[in-house]
Amino acid sequence: MDFEFGEKEEKLRREIRNFVKEELPPGYFSLVAEEESSDEEWEFAMSIAKKLAKRGWLTMAWPKEYGGQGASIWEQAVYGEEVGYWGIPGTSMGVSGVGWVGPSLILFGGEEQRRKYLPLIASGEPDGVWCTAYSEPNAGSDFANIQTRAVREGDEYIINGQKTWTSAAHRARWCWLAAKTDPDAAKKHRGISLFIMDMKSPGITVRPILGYSGVHIINEEFFDNVRVPASNLVGEENKGWYLLMQSLAFERASFGVGLYGSNRRILDEIIKYAKETQCRGKPLSCNPLVRHKLADRAIEVETLKLISYQTLWKTSQGIVPVYEPSRDKAYGDLVMERLAITGTEILGAYSQVPSPSKWAKLRGCVERLYSFAPAMKILSGTDEIERCVIGQFGLGLPKSY
Amino acid sequence: MDFSFTEEQEMLRTSARDFLGKECPKTKVRELEADERGYHPQTWHKMAELGWMGLVIPSEYGGTGGQFMDLVLLLEEMGRNILPSPFFSTVALCSLPILEFGSKGQKEEFLPKVAKGEIILALALTESSATYEASEIRLRATPKGEEYILEGTKLFVNDANVANYLLVATRTGDRENPEEGITLFLVDATSRGIKVEVIPTTAPDKQCQVNFDKVTVSQQNILGEVNQGWEIVEFILQKATILKCAEIIGASQAVLEMSNSYAKERVQFGRPIGSFQAIQHKLADMLIEVDGAKYLVYEAAWKISQGRPSILEVSMAKAKACEVHQRACLDGIQIHGALGFSQDHDIGLYFRRVKAAEFALGDADFHRERIASELGL
Repeated sequence: MDFEFGEKEEKLRREIRNFVKEELPPGYFSLVAEEESSDEEWEFAMSIAKKLAKRGWLTMAWPKEYGGQGASIWEQAVYGEEVGYWGIPGTSMGVSGVGWVGPSLILFGGEEQRRKYLPLIASGEPDGVWCTAYSEPNAGSDFANIQTRAVREGDEYIINGQKTWTSAAHRARWCWLAAKTDPDAAKKHRGISLFIMDMKSPGITVRPILGYSGVHIINEEFFDNVRVPASNLVGEENKGWYLLMQSLAFERASFGVGLYGSNRRILDEIIKYAKETQCRGKPLSCNPLVRHKLADRAIEVETLKLISYQTLWKTSQGIVPVYEPSRDKAYGDLVMERLAITGTEILGAYSQVPSPSKWAKLRGCVERLYSFAPAMKILSGTDEIERCVIGQFGLGLPKSY
Repeated sequence: MDFSFTEEQEMLRTSARDFLGKECPKTKVRELEADERGYHPQTWHKMAELGWMGLVIPSEYGGTGGQFMDLVLLLEEMGRNILPSPFFSTVALCSLPILEFGSKGQKEEFLPKVAKGEIILALALTESSATYEASEIRLRATPKGEEYILEGTKLFVNDANVANYLLVATRTGDRENPEEGITLFLVDATSRGIKVEVIPTTAPDKQCQVNFDKVTVSQQNILGEVNQGWEIVEFILQKATILKCAEIIGASQAVLEMSNSYAKERVQFGRPIGSFQAIQHKLADMLIEVDGAKYLVYEAAWKISQGRPSILEVSMAKAKACEVHQRACLDGIQIHGALGFSQDHDIGLYFRRVKAAEFALGDADFHRERIASELGL
């Protein structure tokens, strides 16, 4: 057992902190999945992505020939933690590229696909930005129920259908698309294929879906005879399901250390606030209820860190984690929700005020966290689906749906 | 970063699991609940022969000089099997502080006997408040020549009914800071004036009331320095607490496995109940939480094994482990339905021990307060 990073990792941590000081405005702090919402924030995020790419950090764990640094899992973990803690924007290249499209292509993409798409993501340029289109109006948790069709015609597939809840589709150059290639398959998950789609293709309409607080992160897309080259099929036709499950595991695992980092930051900010804020002539931090809640949140944040590390450790041993990414995602959601609630309780009425109002506290980070927490429990697989994965693959229980 | 135990440690775990499974089946656990001593001397001696009592005692004092993490996983296995024995009292609560703070003479006197399984030790710390606050240590030790006279009552002292010696926390000074003025004594349990009475408890285990009626103890028997005893209590509150946590997570893992097996076997409405999400998601939650508690405990134990300050991590581990284990037992019984309430089923054995583990060395609230202080609140 060893719960410490090596000198190499700690050196990287110092370098990233210097980068934060040099490149981000003082006190800057962005939350997960919010950079897509305004043009100004997006532009800033992309400018940072380019700088991260230049330093070789953006896709550090990828092999060198595809634009990575061949960094270890633990260097990547430190990077993810710091990214979360300092809220460094631009690190995911439109949520999909860095987190799961890249790792999936490395694992099961064709060589030509790797050579074309991986360096684009690694470059930090707008042409390396991806979105992921899985959900449809009638296929949410029941993912295999997708109806979007891909029909082979010569060297192309013709795509028709509708996707929804797609993060960053309005920013993306490429789409990681799940479509039905055999509607008559005996089992519906056996007729699904995975495609790379150019978002500039004729026939694609992207419409914004605004979140309840007015932010534009997600979209719906309509595909009207969109032509995709057959060479953009990932893996084999009709065998996309297993690739998609692996990609989802990458996606869920990609939250772990970053979520730890951002939750830890917000916890630190709230602790500082509780120490500096007076209530009935005493700091809030003297109130036993406040102390008790913050102690619990600290335990949860630490637990999130450790289970995320454990998943990474398993991967570092060459073992593919099966239920762990779902465990970490489900637990991370719970940590975030509880921290958001505690944050609002401690900041009181001020927790309702977003930045840049003069009444916003902690740059509005609690307001944003509280707004976003419910979405976190749904995206990338609802908490209920994660528990089904844990039950089936972690505990060997029968399928429950 | 490494989340694995060494090969030797895995072997120790396997052999401990085998031994405890054979030597202490649940029928034995049930029998011992009615036993006056509360443990089985034959098993105790076999454990000593396996080198368990001397696991972390250096070879010069008759032990095998193993690592702290070895002890962590051994206690995890004991917790998994709910072994009724004075092992925790003797080894975790008393021999570790003797090893750390004892004089050469004290180490030579006690440690080889502990390693051989010849003596049982018990920690007499808490009193009527039943808390781990320094201010609540009131049992008075008054100097008289070369000796001290002990007067007062200790409560919830585990295994005092079978102990040969008691490690007693006493009040020897009254300064403004209650942590000053505490002195620890190693007291022969057969001394005149000591009266031990077992308190009936849920478990049922052997938590005792120990009366000290003008008990005479030589100043030779002071562990550490006069008035400096709180440092030793603090040491116990970290090292022994994490060992208690190891016991707890071992038990939680057992409850999880037991409940999961039952959910696969038990058929209702023509299907195993584990195929219903109401049951499956409870078990998924249990797995998430037990995994989380386990790694919190390992992290804190590892820090201790490195000799680093670890109040924050230990308290996080204890608060978490207590809560997770209680939840696991309550949900586990729920999954078992009425069978879970029955005396015939093992899960009740675990449930009845939840509170003893929780209140040993500070409950979740006590540790939350320590966490808050460590966070600078």
